[in-house]
Amino acid sequence: MMKYLFLCVCLWPWLLAAKTIVVGSSGDYPTLTAALDAAVDYDTIVVHSGTYREGNIPITKAVTILGVGYPVFDGEKSHEIFTITANHVVVAGLWFKNTGTASMVDIAAVKVIDAKNVTVTGNRFTDTFFGMHFSNSSEATITDNDLHASATGEHEIGNGIHLWKCHNITITGNEIRGHRDGIYFEFVTESLIARNISENNIRYGLHFMFSHNDEYRENAFIGNGAGVAVMYTKHVKMYGNLFKKNWGGASYGLLLKDIQDSEVIGNHFIENTIAIHMEGVSRTRFEANDYLRNGYAVRLQASCDDNDFTRNNFSENAFDFATNGTMVLNTIDGNYWDRYQGYDLDRDGIGDVPYRPANLYSMIVERIPSAVLVWRSFLVLLMDRAEKIIPVVTPENLKDNTPSMKAYDRT
Amino acid sequence: MRISTVYLFVIAVVFLSCKAEPEPLQYGQDACRACKMTLMDRKFGAELVTKKGKIYKFDDVNCMLNFYHSNEVAQSDIAHKLVVDFSQPAKLIPAADAFYLKSDAIKSPMASQIAAFEKKDTLDTMKKELKGVYMVWGELVTQFK
Repeated sequence: MMKYLFLCVCLWPWLLAAKTIVVGSSGDYPTLTAALDAAVDYDTIVVHSGTYREGNIPITKAVTILGVGYPVFDGEKSHEIFTITANHVVVAGLWFKNTGTASMVDIAAVKVIDAKNVTVTGNRFTDTFFGMHFSNSSEATITDNDLHASATGEHEIGNGIHLWKCHNITITGNEIRGHRDGIYFEFVTESLIARNISENNIRYGLHFMFSHNDEYRENAFIGNGAGVAVMYTKHVKMYGNLFKKNWGGASYGLLLKDIQDSEVIGNHFIENTIAIHMEGVSRTRFEANDYLRNGYAVRLQASCDDNDFTRNNFSENAFDFATNGTMVLNTIDGNYWDRYQGYDLDRDGIGDVPYRPANLYSMIVERIPSAVLVWRSFLVLLMDRAEKIIPVVTPENLKDNTPSMKAYDRT
Repeated sequence: MRISTVYLFVIAVVFLSCKAEPEPLQYGQDACRACKMTLMDRKFGAELVTKKGKIYKFDDVNCMLNFYHSNEVAQSDIAHKLVVDFSQPAKLIPAADAFYLKSDAIKSPMASQIAAFEKKDTLDTMKKELKGVYMVWGELVTQFK
């Protein structure tokens, strides 16, 4: 008995030691599928460069798959490539190309189902229908991947990084171009999205629904079909993101719908049709954001209340504020407005007369969009001036009581 | 005589142009009236047409029902209620006569979990795969109130 125990103790390191399997023309196995058959949990599989056409590859063991020189996994336009159902899988340094497409099922280059602690890092995705598709998963890490799709029709392409019913996910340093939605969150909680670039996607750069307690910071959302949408969510933090060049009739830098108790701080909104469109937003702070050269900086629907705008810079926007209601239950004190024409006699840096950011004409355009045709005409100028002196149409309490004389310095 | 023909023609044209006809959903361009999202998924979608010909488009059946119950348009003023057939991309069918399947496996744009079908047979086939419960329009209207 003692002898067996001694043997066991001696062999313990060998029993535990994970082995490394090499895949490639000169490796242990020619295909990843064969290597996976031979592997046990916690093995490392090193894949050498080459093109691998193995159809769909199910990954059911906790393996680490490392690519050397970006080996290509080609879905030949008909397969889903990796289907991961095991915990602790690592996928790094691979190049996924040409998955199949379908209207009924979500085909992905890397699909993760009911798994924990999966890491997908440093991979390339070219013309994949869905890049990464996670459902019912948690503690995943998605970093430094590069996704590029070149579809033109919205039905020919899925989302770049798609998450459904997940929690505790970290998504950092990825670049996503040409997908339907760059990053898609539905029922995803306690997650972080940071330093990603989401550009020229067909619909949204980031699409966020029913996803509470998440944070996204320092991302860039540029030139997406409809900008960024954050909807039906509580406690979301948006810090230091860039929303740029989201142009078009139904295009928003940031579309906020039914949001509560959230924070929008230190973001930059540059050259968007509508920088922020808000509907049903409550108890949310908008602080230290810069709005530069947008059509509308903030379009606030009457259904919003108890929001606070402070220390924002509004510069060169066609309209700083627009609203469709007459009652405004939000505070907008202490912002900088480049249109402010007041004075500061006591030289404390705060304007002595309030600023009214919603002008008469923006209220008219809100009701009759085609009226924008006569914008900047002499008559409109006169009407705006008259309204400034005796407000009739614009909400009385929509005003900045302490406008800053100088733009806030963000450095 | 000739003048009255001309008048008749003009009147006919005027009335024709007022007809409340549905129009196809432009996926990738049209935005949902209720949730503002751009329509994308051709398996889902809905449309309301008023008697005066005004058209409201939706990306999911629950968005249409939210609008329907909001009374922004009186229910009596609605001429057509249409939904997209899950099995026939972008095809609009009358909502009141459609067959509905509610299942967790149906991932619709606004999480209604509802798929609509023109024919009961198609629903039955899909139900074997997706599970879920079979519903009719009346149940849907009360469920999403």
